[in-house]
Amino acid sequence: MVLRSYLKEIRLQKGLTQESLAGVIGVTRQTIIAIEKGKFVPSVKLALELAKALGQPLEQVFWLEASQEDRS
Amino acid sequence: MTGMSLYYLSRAVISAAFGLLFALTGSPWWVAALIGVIAFAFFLWAPHSGRYAVHPELGVTALRRDERTQGINDRSARNAFIVTMLAVAGATLYFGRYTPAVVPVSFFNYLLILGVLTYYLSDFLQRRSA
Repeated sequence: MVLRSYLKEIRLQKGLTQESLAGVIGVTRQTIIAIEKGKFVPSVKLALELAKALGQPLEQVFWLEASQEDRS
Repeated sequence: MTGMSLYYLSRAVISAAFGLLFALTGSPWWVAALIGVIAFAFFLWAPHSGRYAVHPELGVTALRRDERTQGINDRSARNAFIVTMLAVAGATLYFGRYTPAVVPVSFFNYLLILGVLTYYLSDFLQRRSA
């Protein structure tokens, strides 16, 4: 299973920059970039903080998707 | 004093102390001053580098690693430790087999440099890929 997110879409919808979102939850801008690109899987705590900062339920921001290995 | 002022003030003191340390250990005054300036330049750059989460409300300790950069730091330290230990093991076998009881002191400098280089290379590669 791989973690997918609508983080970028929701962030842009809310008119937030990567830097401002990073500032709200106290992480680096590079961490926001890495999560948006799917290169970093955040902890449950950070995922909940992101969802809260964006005013969305967690499952609206992140979800699990079956990977190629899971399908075969 | 609010915001980042405490952070910058404390780093100015640390930079000056660092320069003074070089002066006290025999470096020319201009080298000591240059070291102090370089150290302070690093502290000025750090909050804007993206390597640290900035918390102005924390004052002196305003720069913190977040969970991603902490993970990178941990893995880099682990890699450096493993590489250094493997080098020590290899050296132990080599010197034990060929030149028992004769280990050049400079060899340990190279081991330390190897460890430090491994740490920073690992850090750099992980930051690029994630």
